[in-house]
Amino acid sequence: MSANNEPNIVAFLCNWCSYAGADLAGTSRVQYPSNINVIRVMCTGRINPLFVVNALQQGADGVLVSGCHPGDCHYMEGNYFARRRLGMLKDLLEYVGVDPRRFHMSWVSASEGHKWKEVVEKTVEDAREARSYEGFRRRQIDW
Amino acid sequence: MTDKPKIGVYICHCGINIASTVDVETVEEYALKLPNVEVARTYSYMCSDPGQALIKEDIKEQGLNRIVVASCSPRMHETTFRKAIQETGLNPYFLEMANIREQCSWVHEETEEATAKAKKLITASVAKVRLLEALESKEVDAEPAALVIGAGIAGIQAALDIADAGFKTYLVEKTPSVGGRMAQLDKTFPTLDCSACILTPKMVDCASHPNIELLSYSEVEEINGFIGNFDIKVRKKARYVDFDKCTGCGDCAKECRVADRFPSEFDQGMGNRSAIYLPFPQAVPAKYTIDPENCLYLKRGKCGKDPKCQEVCGAGAIDFDQQDEFVEFKVGAIIVATGFDPFNPSRKPEYGYDDYPNVITGMEMERLVSASGPTGGKVLINNGEEEIEPKEVAFIKCVGSRDESVGNEYCSRVCCMYTAKQAHLIREKLPDANIRIYYMDVRAFGKGYEEFYDRVRRENVRYIRGNPSEIFKRGNKLIVKAENTLTSTPVEDEVDLVVLGVGLEPRAEMREIMDLLRLSQSGDRFFLEAHPKLRPVDTATEGVYLAGCCQGPKDIPDTVAQAKGAASSAMIPLARGKVTIDAQVAEVNEATCRGCGFCVEICPYTAIEMVTVNRFGHEIEVARVNEALCKGCGSCSAACLSDSVQPKSFRDRQILPQIAALGVIK
Amino acid sequence: MELEKLRETAAEIAARDDVKYLIGWKKGSYGYRVAPAFAEDAEGASDFIFSPLCTANLATYLTLVEKLPLPRGQEPDKRKVALMVKGCDSRAVTQLLVEKGIHREEVIIIGCPCPGMVDPDLLNKKYPETEETAELKWDNDGFVIVRDGEETKVPREELLDEKCQLCRYPNPVVSDIMLDDPVKAWEPVEDEGVKEIEEKAVEGRWDYWQQEFSNCIRCYSCRNVCPLCYCQDCILDRQNPDWVYRSVNFSENTAFNIARAFHLAGRCIECGECERVCPANIPLGKINRKLAREVRDKYGFEPGLDPDAEPFQASYKPDDPEDFIL
Repeated sequence: MSANNEPNIVAFLCNWCSYAGADLAGTSRVQYPSNINVIRVMCTGRINPLFVVNALQQGADGVLVSGCHPGDCHYMEGNYFARRRLGMLKDLLEYVGVDPRRFHMSWVSASEGHKWKEVVEKTVEDAREARSYEGFRRRQIDW
Repeated sequence: MTDKPKIGVYICHCGINIASTVDVETVEEYALKLPNVEVARTYSYMCSDPGQALIKEDIKEQGLNRIVVASCSPRMHETTFRKAIQETGLNPYFLEMANIREQCSWVHEETEEATAKAKKLITASVAKVRLLEALESKEVDAEPAALVIGAGIAGIQAALDIADAGFKTYLVEKTPSVGGRMAQLDKTFPTLDCSACILTPKMVDCASHPNIELLSYSEVEEINGFIGNFDIKVRKKARYVDFDKCTGCGDCAKECRVADRFPSEFDQGMGNRSAIYLPFPQAVPAKYTIDPENCLYLKRGKCGKDPKCQEVCGAGAIDFDQQDEFVEFKVGAIIVATGFDPFNPSRKPEYGYDDYPNVITGMEMERLVSASGPTGGKVLINNGEEEIEPKEVAFIKCVGSRDESVGNEYCSRVCCMYTAKQAHLIREKLPDANIRIYYMDVRAFGKGYEEFYDRVRRENVRYIRGNPSEIFKRGNKLIVKAENTLTSTPVEDEVDLVVLGVGLEPRAEMREIMDLLRLSQSGDRFFLEAHPKLRPVDTATEGVYLAGCCQGPKDIPDTVAQAKGAASSAMIPLARGKVTIDAQVAEVNEATCRGCGFCVEICPYTAIEMVTVNRFGHEIEVARVNEALCKGCGSCSAACLSDSVQPKSFRDRQILPQIAALGVIK
Repeated sequence: MELEKLRETAAEIAARDDVKYLIGWKKGSYGYRVAPAFAEDAEGASDFIFSPLCTANLATYLTLVEKLPLPRGQEPDKRKVALMVKGCDSRAVTQLLVEKGIHREEVIIIGCPCPGMVDPDLLNKKYPETEETAELKWDNDGFVIVRDGEETKVPREELLDEKCQLCRYPNPVVSDIMLDDPVKAWEPVEDEGVKEIEEKAVEGRWDYWQQEFSNCIRCYSCRNVCPLCYCQDCILDRQNPDWVYRSVNFSENTAFNIARAFHLAGRCIECGECERVCPANIPLGKINRKLAREVRDKYGFEPGLDPDAEPFQASYKPDDPEDFIL
């Protein structure tokens, strides 16, 4: 965790539902923790589960993946693939001892600005509560 | 990327929307220190003309080759800034936006927090923008022709519109005649126009239109390609009648050795036809067809001494050696107008449709009241002893609609009105009959519908709220057992005729079309449109549009409206003559692809196929993306174990630095 | 299994004109060891064996063969490759068919119903290797060690490899020729190794794997021996993007091991080769088996059984579990 003890969250959002939902939260001036940092991708199907591993390695205290509700994917099926892949990853991470509170997945639609806020709060809170171990963060992170 | 990245970072105040929360000057100072950043500026409205000019000038004068705009959501202004950049000659895809309004200044009140977050988001954008690649959106020529599958009213209307606009249109119909379900109807609600009277002229038009090639009794066999460039193969089934020679005189059908022996599809099996037949008198084209299932000669190779039809055909049109023919052509757009199937009430055995001849469907009623129908328009039934005019008539609505037990939760949208219409028609023909309609709700939503419903009620048609539970026979009467739910009284209603207001179902054989065109179904099993509200005639496959009941139950006005909508959408690529292929598509690195085909399995647009390439003398299978079909979702790449398939602008090597930047900046 | 019959069949196949070579096992040159062997003709197959030490999964060689550049005009050798498979190996072959790593017509599969392999580490511990070659064979209900003509009976439980105790498919699921009648599948034991880790609290699991991963020397033997890790250009070898740095430290080792395991989710057929070859003795099987069990229990999928199956990672079911989603 960073010096100010605030968890740093990396979030991967699909362009069509969750990113639009987060935009809506903005338009509606819904306030939520600033710990969340969003990377926009076109579809949750794009999210290679190793992105999550990589984020944990590159300094994220928590990772969130959010996409369209089942059946609503702009590309029809991407979120279903994501659900299977990331569900497996979640099992794997837990099994190797990564605190399950460090990785979440959610469905947030373009109209769920308030749900987005709740998801962010939950993710931040969970990452804050997660056992403070050094994790497997890289010593030196370059970009 | 040969040039060293020279990045300009443009931070928008958005009036006070950003600047009142984010300390833009501090952010500007910070951005200037980021690697490869040459210029950082703030401005009150970056999206305004002077704001854009600022960026353009810097590109020209400072030789910037990558741009980061920190402002509102990219969903808002990405296109704006792309265009601005493009005007300077720089590739428009060398842009990355940092969303410091919707996802920063508007959601974080504290200046310190919001400023820190803006810095982070900009850092991540800088990290990514360095690694973006130049992309070109390509244009390919579009074939100025269309294919319409199905020649019911939807297909006919769509084909006529496209043909009238001057484009070649291929209209493919599975059955021997165009016309579809509408041709079977007697009158149409609520105006009571005669269905044939308003439809037949359109049927004739589409057969004679110089731009329409009507392929009746034909089926689409193969479709390949993509919007603008579909290759179509159609099977013209053998009619065993020479199309050009047949004059449609009908002597063959009269003389056929098995004349009037087979249930007529058009008359819902209530009338008969011969083995050589015209589906109905106004059929278009007016050409006879031999039904190979029932023709003695085709079935057994022998029909008397010589087949009668051959004997009597003055034109010499009968040709038993005819084979299926294949036609191939190219089109730029496809309209699917394959219609519906009426619900088969055998699936609700409690209504006794299979057991009692006087329980009939709405479609059968249409034929019964039609002047061209099997009874010549007389409402006659056989009560087991004699032909009578029914005295007591009951209608039941929502048969096979709004009924989870048969898997149809949806409302079929036409049954309320067609039962009302049929009640009216019976009232006209049988002024003394007692008519009642069992209903759950009455949905009279269209123009003139409510008025029509009122009119029918005034014509002494009783509406009884309640869904009958059973129909059984007592003597030569049918008993409808129900509960009147408004009075909570059980009803045992003695009637002569029951008309089941059957709903509309997806075509049983729609799978074939789905596979040909890679279409999906919605929950109700009808074809799925691209967006339920904003793209109701489009499909997920670009260049393929939906019209009529294949997309969901519809009445005639809605069907025609949708057909016209589909036609106009289909004409966009045809009129433009070109289609633009998105630049942000996936790409396969064939050198590292292991050929497992995971991406092929995943792609919802079948945009990826396996191809054989020669790698140092070895034939190797690798994946290849068809850029015209790819939508750039990137689902393929997350499953690619060798990371060989990557969506442009969202490559792993572009995203990982973004992650690192967000992780490392506190 | 009759040794005679095995060698006869092997010789016959290796001699075929349409066969490039036959891959099988033969006795090694030292102690108990058994080595993979390639026979290009009948002669080459004359010393093939099948014994409780034929643990090596030969399916890995199907994709390990490097396709060297051919001189212009030279036709590639399109002859078939024949190989001997146990139950687990055959699942690797099937999974390779699913993933188009090989095509069915390119291989001849010789099935060896397998009564279970010996754990070589246990064997060496209890009956240390000799200078001379020693042999192992199956007995009715156990193993027999043959040294200098002297036979020692050992109960099955004493030496049976862990992966074989857990085995559910001892008979080949795909084959062209079967060398023997199928063996009767046994009741797999409970996976104590996985269970033990699952029962730990999250901290305990972390500490456990931290310990194990710290030992990893990143030799990539696990990847190289795996019949299903056959990308010519592994992402873990790449520098752009560099998913995992080459440096050997806890962070990279952990990322590496997670990535390796994840790439095998829904693909691993539990042959245990990765764990067998690991010089650091990291219990990789415990990760692979955990994921395999999740895939089986939660998603109702087992890899390597049906060559026409949709690949697990490239498919979904509308009702896949989503209880983890917020």
